[in-house]
Amino acid sequence: MSIINISSDVYEEGRKIAQKTAEAMGYAYVGREILRGVAEKYHLSETKLVDAIDKAAPTLRMSLKLRKQLMAYIQEAVLGEMLKDNIVCQGLAAHLYVLGVSHVLKVRILIDPEERARNYAQTHNMSVKKAEKLLAREKKLRQQWSFSEFRFDETDPSKYDLMVSLSQIDPDEAVRIITETVCSRKFQPMNYSEKCLKDLELAARVRVLLMDKYPSSRVQANGGNLIIETLGLTREKRKREAAIKELAENIPGVNYVEVHFIHDFFRQAAESFR
Amino acid sequence: MTDQLEVLLLDDEPIVGKRLKPALAKIGCNVEVFENPRAALDRISEKEFDIVVTDIRMDEIDGIQVLEHVTQKSPRTKVIMITGYAMMSLAREAMGKGAFDFIAKPFQPDDLRKVIASAAKALGSSIDFTAAGIDNA
Repeated sequence: MSIINISSDVYEEGRKIAQKTAEAMGYAYVGREILRGVAEKYHLSETKLVDAIDKAAPTLRMSLKLRKQLMAYIQEAVLGEMLKDNIVCQGLAAHLYVLGVSHVLKVRILIDPEERARNYAQTHNMSVKKAEKLLAREKKLRQQWSFSEFRFDETDPSKYDLMVSLSQIDPDEAVRIITETVCSRKFQPMNYSEKCLKDLELAARVRVLLMDKYPSSRVQANGGNLIIETLGLTREKRKREAAIKELAENIPGVNYVEVHFIHDFFRQAAESFR
Repeated sequence: MTDQLEVLLLDDEPIVGKRLKPALAKIGCNVEVFENPRAALDRISEKEFDIVVTDIRMDEIDGIQVLEHVTQKSPRTKVIMITGYAMMSLAREAMGKGAFDFIAKPFQPDDLRKVIASAAKALGSSIDFTAAGIDNA
């Protein structure tokens, strides 16, 4: 009756472990297959959604703003799936945004960096040294991104309940450890943890709704009550607050909306120089 | 078990007991309210309750100590923790030590009634909560 979230530096390795764990527990596996539905719902390419999860740095095809938008769509879908309970989630970057929910067991699968570099060099036809350099750079960029976007470093071990190194523990043993751990009472759902998850899901739905017009908005939910922080110029304050309230109040599950307006000094400075 | 659930409610804020006692009585609970944890522990030593609802942060003795005392004294008693300082680590600690459920304050009386209903079900109680509008299926 819990949720297992598995993340890894190498998607395929994480997927194998997650699928085996789901099978062993009799849980549903929630992986990147759900991105097809997200892509259809928002008329996007599925590849772009995958890139938003995987790519380490902004590219010409994907700005930080677009990535933020795509991540918001993914979060909405993943958190919606998590409300169903009894799932193993993998490959959807949920370790970055499902925080503070005690019945979600967060597992990180570690791959030996040397082995990873060797495999990468082979598949991309390059020297191991070059592959090591590229992977180290990618890791650094991802750390920077996770820190700027989600305010924590995804490689920080304290953010996980369980870290399993596949260079020391074989996959079947890893599955056994995960399934045994999740059976602990500590990871059973309770009133508080279910409420935390519902709050995250509601905040994600609201964020998606505000994304087009007010992408800088930050949303927090607490039992149907919302606190929305939005960035703008003082002259826009009243109009924007009213518009955000109107949008958010119509979302199912929302009882009360409070909008906190934050003056955007950078935009004001930019406008005053025009 | 009788047709009434024997419930001990412990919270050092008097308003909590005052508000929750009638709400629980409505669904067939016989509630004893305590504001002093020591007095509550003495009562738990004397009587086996079906359900103990306890605040966590209190002076002198905290809710986790109450939980440990109850699980030692009466393993069948279901302990429901309530707190205004809910955190994932505290919730996991309470559940790991055998709490039946964990509720963050503020909450509606109905939230607690639902948890009481599922605790009653786990105890094998035949009390029908559907009359009070609570689904304990």
